[in-house]
Amino acid sequence: MTDMYNKSKGYHETPEEIEYELRAKVGSVWSGGRLFIGMYTFLLASLAFAYFYLRTANNGLLWRPHNVTAPTAFGWSIFALEALTAVLAIYGQWRLRKGVVLDWQVAVWTGVLTSLVALFLQIWETTTLPFFPGSSGYASTFIGWIVINIASLVVGAYWLETTVARSMRMRKELGGDSPELSSAATARLFRANVASMTYFWGFTALSGALFLALFYIL
Amino acid sequence: MTISAERPTEVAASSVTPPVQSGRVGWTQRPGWMSQHLGTAIVLGIVGYLFGHWLGHEITGDYAYIQNSGQNSSANFFALLFGVVGWLLGIGALNYPVAKLFGREPNQEPTVEGWSKYFRYTLDHKVVGLQYVVGVLLFMFTGGLLAMAIRAELLNPTTHLFGPGTYIEIVSEHGTIMMMMATSIIVGPLGNYFVPLMIGSRKMAFPRIEAFSFWIFVAGYAVIFSALPYGGFPTGWTGYAPLQTQAGPGMISYLFGFAVIGMGMMAAGFNIAVTIINNRAPGMTWSRVPIFVWSILATAALLTLATPTLFAAGLFGILDKTAQTAFYVSEHGGSSYLWENLFWFFGHPEVYIMALPGFGIVAEILPVFTRKPLFAYKVAASGMIGVALLSFFVWQHHLFQSGINPDMRPLFMLTTELISIPTGFIFLVGMGTLYRAKIRFEIPMLFAMALFFNFLIGGVTGVFLSDVPVNVTVHGGFFVLSHFHYTIMGGLLFAFMAGLYYWLPKMTGRMMNKKLGLWHFWTMFIFFNLTFFPMFIIGLLGQPRRVFTYAKNLQGLNDFSSISAFLLGLSFLLFFANLMYSMYIKPVKAPANPWDSLGLEWQTASPIPEYNFERIPVVMTDPYHYSEVGAPPVADMGTGAPPVVSTTSGSSPA
Amino acid sequence: MSTENSMKKETHHLRRMATIWVILSVAADLLFMFWVAPHVPPGTMTDTARANQFDFNVLFLMAFPVLIGVWVYMGYAIVNWSAKRAGVPEPVGGPAARGNLKAQVSWIVVTSIVVLFLAGFGTVALINGNGSGGGEGPNPVWMPAGSAKAETAALTSSASWTPGSNQVLVVQVIGQQWKFTYRYPQFGGFESPQLILPNNTEIAFNVTSLDVIHSFWAYQLSVKADANPQQNNVAYTKTAQLGNFTVRCSELCGIWHGSMYNYGKVVSQSNFQNWATTTEAANAANTKNLPPFAWTYVPDANGAAGGYYIDGNVTPYSQVETYGAKQPAS
Repeated sequence: MTDMYNKSKGYHETPEEIEYELRAKVGSVWSGGRLFIGMYTFLLASLAFAYFYLRTANNGLLWRPHNVTAPTAFGWSIFALEALTAVLAIYGQWRLRKGVVLDWQVAVWTGVLTSLVALFLQIWETTTLPFFPGSSGYASTFIGWIVINIASLVVGAYWLETTVARSMRMRKELGGDSPELSSAATARLFRANVASMTYFWGFTALSGALFLALFYIL
Repeated sequence: MTISAERPTEVAASSVTPPVQSGRVGWTQRPGWMSQHLGTAIVLGIVGYLFGHWLGHEITGDYAYIQNSGQNSSANFFALLFGVVGWLLGIGALNYPVAKLFGREPNQEPTVEGWSKYFRYTLDHKVVGLQYVVGVLLFMFTGGLLAMAIRAELLNPTTHLFGPGTYIEIVSEHGTIMMMMATSIIVGPLGNYFVPLMIGSRKMAFPRIEAFSFWIFVAGYAVIFSALPYGGFPTGWTGYAPLQTQAGPGMISYLFGFAVIGMGMMAAGFNIAVTIINNRAPGMTWSRVPIFVWSILATAALLTLATPTLFAAGLFGILDKTAQTAFYVSEHGGSSYLWENLFWFFGHPEVYIMALPGFGIVAEILPVFTRKPLFAYKVAASGMIGVALLSFFVWQHHLFQSGINPDMRPLFMLTTELISIPTGFIFLVGMGTLYRAKIRFEIPMLFAMALFFNFLIGGVTGVFLSDVPVNVTVHGGFFVLSHFHYTIMGGLLFAFMAGLYYWLPKMTGRMMNKKLGLWHFWTMFIFFNLTFFPMFIIGLLGQPRRVFTYAKNLQGLNDFSSISAFLLGLSFLLFFANLMYSMYIKPVKAPANPWDSLGLEWQTASPIPEYNFERIPVVMTDPYHYSEVGAPPVADMGTGAPPVVSTTSGSSPA
Repeated sequence: MSTENSMKKETHHLRRMATIWVILSVAADLLFMFWVAPHVPPGTMTDTARANQFDFNVLFLMAFPVLIGVWVYMGYAIVNWSAKRAGVPEPVGGPAARGNLKAQVSWIVVTSIVVLFLAGFGTVALINGNGSGGGEGPNPVWMPAGSAKAETAALTSSASWTPGSNQVLVVQVIGQQWKFTYRYPQFGGFESPQLILPNNTEIAFNVTSLDVIHSFWAYQLSVKADANPQQNNVAYTKTAQLGNFTVRCSELCGIWHGSMYNYGKVVSQSNFQNWATTTEAANAANTKNLPPFAWTYVPDANGAAGGYYIDGNVTPYSQVETYGAKQPAS
């Protein structure tokens, strides 16, 4: 019996097995996307914890002397671009579900652009801060937020770009005209990935709103 | 529709198109020296390190405080960052992420034959598992040598062997390297290797993330030792803040090293959690999942959710030391308590990251060697989940004397003591399984029984520590040191040894030598206890941790402990000798199922084919019905005659 | 094997184990109580130490039966239930092998009771012991009578302490790399490298640090409080015996952490009064140069975090004095 295993190279899968493993794969992409958001929540929660901890402690009255604030125009622009990207991702997914692949591609390419502009603004803002990084607790946590937000934007832009680039290579599967093509394995995996990506952008926009409130408004 | 209901006839390989195929051969898998492997990773890692160091100096070298101090933490940070990126580039971890930007499909990776696959970015979870075995043993061996150095210094109550700076460097490296190793010691090698086999899956959900987790783990080893040319770091593994801010550039290696290892931990936990949720074979319902898989699932949940906090804490520390923020500097609006809170919010779940897989292995092994079903399976599984949940709510017990809000103390005393209830379940399970058993004292069983002995002492002393009035005396002393060595080394490491002796025959096809194994077990068990038990007394008599001088009247106990520690070190050499002897010098072919285990991982062929199972098995029961007459087979492997019992799981494959 | 038989055998096993367990546990506890318990650290030098020693002993007395229970069970299993021969054994374990509701429920109930009892006991001991000698931070919750008054007075120049007056003695412990020094605000705020305490007196240790985190551990007094920069950490105890005690740093504070220790002394109240007034007078010239007594001290540019900024500016936005500043009330 063992000999048979050793001789067989590669897969001899039954259609059922292929279908079973595909479902597992789709499920993995789905639950992996959610778990990733869960991890990201803990990362952001750590920053929020630092914010509230230092704010409450106010050591040496140096939480936020003179009520210094990071450039508000930057903050609002970056958040607006993040929100716009999220809306574009959601809109794109809606059009994709309707089968209008071109709309999806245009929306997501625009999303890539807006997220990169947001990234650029976020980096630019760093050079225009009216305070020194170590001048106060607020300044420190704000630098922390800049780094984490840059990471979110890079991850988000990468995710947008890779999905749309993939979609251009698999026009045939995403054609939507013939049902058996759009139910191909690659197409199903692709849609699961898009769903996770859209969730991530919604999450990024929400967390962006939270930290906008913390750092620029309050 | 179930697969089991009626197996369709096999379809020829050529007529079935695999879901993903592009026909391009990945760089990682090309033959010869032109491909990507460990060698290219080392070369590019060094190049990246040097480039980053140069870049860091270019960017920050003009600041007066850097020129005046002669220390440039930013240059060290850039060096390590680019070093790790170069390492990943060299090993081939970035091939697919870059190709993805151009919309490419993953490469169809052909198998590299022979030993060279162990030095590559490999997508086979079994190869990654074996890579991890070597990796954690490397960590363990290095950390163990450092421990020998610590005990050598403590032979004498005054400083005699190392200068105080060197001694602190050794203590810090020992603690950090061991903690990093211990987070992965079971999840990495045995989790990666056996979880897919135990749940009847042909592969991991995200094999690239899995391979990434291993190679970044190795990078973390290099990063943490990159502190040595800079005088190490003086903070111990806890890295408390003002000292961290005060320390030299070696501190960057600690902060960045934990961030790097943290990425590995998150990646490993993420992949394993998703795999367990999605890739279970048909019929592998939650009440049939092997208990080891439950423990790994609980661990993976902690790894994914707790580690981001460590990552954030490390990021803030790096910003403090490079961008001059003041997260942990009280004088400038930060707080040293912020580090303590963030660190322990990760740090306490981490303790259970280290404990839970050990429980899992022991609970998995006991039924095999007692020939009895696992006692109270559901209690065991819920205990693991309970420990994982509660572990997020106990972190302040590390801060009882720190001057933090005292009114929280009763609450954290309560949660800490509550966590001993689900932890105690493992004893209930063990004792129930042993009841009127037919115990076979093979080496894995001996190690499993030793865990109960050691962990009991570790657990009971943990209750002492959680009691605030007693904590006043034992906090920060040798008592707590001995306590966590009893839980981590006496628990986790003994379980790891049990797992290795138990599963190595399946992993390598070779049996470990029993005689040498017996010697190894008894020396390790005896000298472990002789090393660490006196430390409880040393701690009660007032010796703080991480000191190189101590009261003269404690020399006898310290010397006793040191000499036992050296013998314990010899016991590990005995293990390596056994490993070499049984694997290479005089290999003995292992039977397909040497322990007569019912586990699914033993049902597949030996050696395990690359795709694990010829047919996806259909699971019918949990793997614990030892000595139960008329129990159905564990699974329909789909290769031979139809299963004896015609009942099928009835669950749909989805 | 019939069920009846197996039930009989079961009780037989359990009864034997229980008998061994009870005998060994009682013996261990008795031996411990009379031989070891009086010598258990941290001793009886203060009432905190005595209370914490009692706590220790309660835990030990409860721990032995737990340890012995598991060990007896394991030992019994090893002796009686090991396989004598190879091969697949007979069906073992009886019908309840996969679980036994009674065993499971009673295990959970018993461990829960033990654990909840210990948590309750620890809480009572913590509150009755005024924080049990542990650092309670700048705003203590559990404190002895009169300590709040004494500490408020300590910041004024009129603070004083006289023998036999039942006053709380305020001692400030200052940790720095790598030594402890002590200030006595009720004696003009002089600073001493020696820790001398009067007997039968309630002591309020105010622990702070000038650089990194240290931990003030007066072993025989059963006092432990982390010394944090920029923060006051208060711990209470009441001395009860004359004698010497050890002070060690128990939080890693840099390379010389290992040699950061000194010794203190509990003396009679009148001897303490003599020592304190003599030292106050002898140190008067030095004390004038010290920063005024405060709960925390911000180091100057030469301190641990000094020279922190690129432009050499130490505290660019500070609204408080940089040296000797009082921590704002929080």
